[in-house]
Amino acid sequence: MQIDYAAVAPELVLTGALCIVLVVDLVLPDNRKGLIMPVSLLGVAGTLLALLALAGDPTRTTLGGMFVVDSFAVTLKILFCVAALLTLAMSYDYLRKEGIHQGEFYFLLLCSLLGMLTIASSRDLLPIFVSLELVSVPAFVLAGLQKIDVKSNEAALKFFLFSILSTAVMLFGMSLIYGITGTTNLAEIAVRLAATPVLRSIAVLSVFFVVVGFGFKISAFPFQWWVPDTYEGSPVPVAAFLSVASKTAGFVGLLQIMFIAFHGLADVWRPFIAAVAILTMTFGNLVALTQRHIVRLLAYSSIGQAGYILLPLAVVNVNGGSVNHEAFAASIAYLLIYAFMEMGAFSVAVAYGREGGYFIDDYAGLGYRAPGLAVVMTVFLFSLAGIPPLAGWAAKLFIFRAVIDGHEYWLAVAMAVNTVIALFYYAKVVRRMFFEPAGDGPLGVKVPLLLQATIAVSTVMVLLVGILPDLAAHLARMSTLV
Amino acid sequence: MIQIAVFAVIAAVAVIAGVFLVLTRNAVHSALFLVGVQLCLAVLFLLQGAFLVSVLQIMVYAGAIMVLFVFVVMLLGVDKKEALIEPLRWQRPIAAGLGLLLAAEAIYLALSQHIHVGSGGLQAGPHEGNVQAVARVLFTNWALPFEATSVLLVVAVVGVMVVARRKMV
Repeated sequence: MQIDYAAVAPELVLTGALCIVLVVDLVLPDNRKGLIMPVSLLGVAGTLLALLALAGDPTRTTLGGMFVVDSFAVTLKILFCVAALLTLAMSYDYLRKEGIHQGEFYFLLLCSLLGMLTIASSRDLLPIFVSLELVSVPAFVLAGLQKIDVKSNEAALKFFLFSILSTAVMLFGMSLIYGITGTTNLAEIAVRLAATPVLRSIAVLSVFFVVVGFGFKISAFPFQWWVPDTYEGSPVPVAAFLSVASKTAGFVGLLQIMFIAFHGLADVWRPFIAAVAILTMTFGNLVALTQRHIVRLLAYSSIGQAGYILLPLAVVNVNGGSVNHEAFAASIAYLLIYAFMEMGAFSVAVAYGREGGYFIDDYAGLGYRAPGLAVVMTVFLFSLAGIPPLAGWAAKLFIFRAVIDGHEYWLAVAMAVNTVIALFYYAKVVRRMFFEPAGDGPLGVKVPLLLQATIAVSTVMVLLVGILPDLAAHLARMSTLV
Repeated sequence: MIQIAVFAVIAAVAVIAGVFLVLTRNAVHSALFLVGVQLCLAVLFLLQGAFLVSVLQIMVYAGAIMVLFVFVVMLLGVDKKEALIEPLRWQRPIAAGLGLLLAAEAIYLALSQHIHVGSGGLQAGPHEGNVQAVARVLFTNWALPFEATSVLLVVAVVGVMVVARRKMV
């Protein structure tokens, strides 16, 4: 069998890098472990370069049609690499301060990234499943790295148990679909389901199980219970990585399966997805109102955001056409923008958490003590809330337009109501920062250089896409599978 | 005909063993029921003509992994009673009800249509045995998931070392 090595070059570079990281970790003495961070950074940067070399090429298919490199795959892989770079930069000082073992951390992070890269190219149930496991399994360990911390143990255990349960359910659904169609290739599944309508009844059951399985990964209601506890207990950069990269990987798998394999059954799953999306955003936003810990607030907010991203799937049309194209593009655009605002908010939380604390009460008077940090936090929070002219506003607009185009007006109304609810808790943090007297916290917060870089990149992206929303829209339209 | 009869019996035994695996309070009994399920699965693979998979099922699952299970159970102590106080008392009946509902739906869906599915599984070449056929598809068509799984195993090893051995500084 011929392998198109250019198509798999990014994965090969990353695999090489993670082998090097593992060996370097072995030979370095304990007090020099920090050196692994630049090695990992170089590895991810090399992967990014290999990806950029692939950008704009015509679609490549290799490994028996299982591995496809098209603009969808390349766009999302670049997003994953950028998210990993931001996480690496965010973690360096955090890990040193908390005394977390660095070698294993970077190795596991890169392994998780490798899973994300392969899932974006997988057009077959089996590699999608294995990739998804490769994303999650390192994350279990990452969540539990602070071994003496009870909360970290709880985080890892909850994440692990929920995740393997969901995987089992998903695998059962996948085995059903393999049983009735005799294939695991996504496009082939769609063809065979269309050819034999009698298979539909079992296929519906399979769709249900697969959606439930992915529901855990993307933290959709009612499968989101692990999210706040896991994010709170994990090291904060890991929480950022989970909420951005891991969740995006779940969405990538879900979008591929729903739009390619189960597209013909859209009539059946559309109402189900609509209900899940509405419940997810409503639950996330309502519970976020009562939160007092910044990471928990961001966790519930990320649940709410998952609801928005899921919403365009509720207007998918069985006959295809521009509605599907717009729906797919809207979800992708939201994922692209969401990554930067969420990463930004988490990196500010890390920066301030070093000296100030992680409770929202600790943020009182931050506007006087560290005006710069307070201003960028405001940018990220308002962007998450969807206030113009920030990127989050453009993201919400794309979703809104896709839903209106699909003539599902009540979904648009539900989303608008949710956006208003969400504004309350984002604004609450901002009010704390600017309109409340400073407590006895530190004056002037020192932010390490790498963390500054993370915050700067996120801020620039949020502002840039906010002013030029067509950047994200164009990229997303180019990167659809329908 | 005899195949269907064997299938019916073995599948029934597998399901019953699976139910007892969940219901029994004793961890060693659970492990033994799991061995039963694995052996039944091995027979089912045999019925499909997948001899290699069947042997692997017995060697790897019923053999190696089950020994590990029993070791862990022994290490943790068989006599320890789990705390049986449930914080959410209403949870169990609701879960049982919803589970039954799902099972009923599945059975209804399966019976509502007469589905005949041709085997899409391993199609061994005429002149080669099971081992060759598995090897051929595993290292050509399925090379990607195979390699990804190898990375997954490395992750598992590193993860276990981190969780079990590392001390916090």
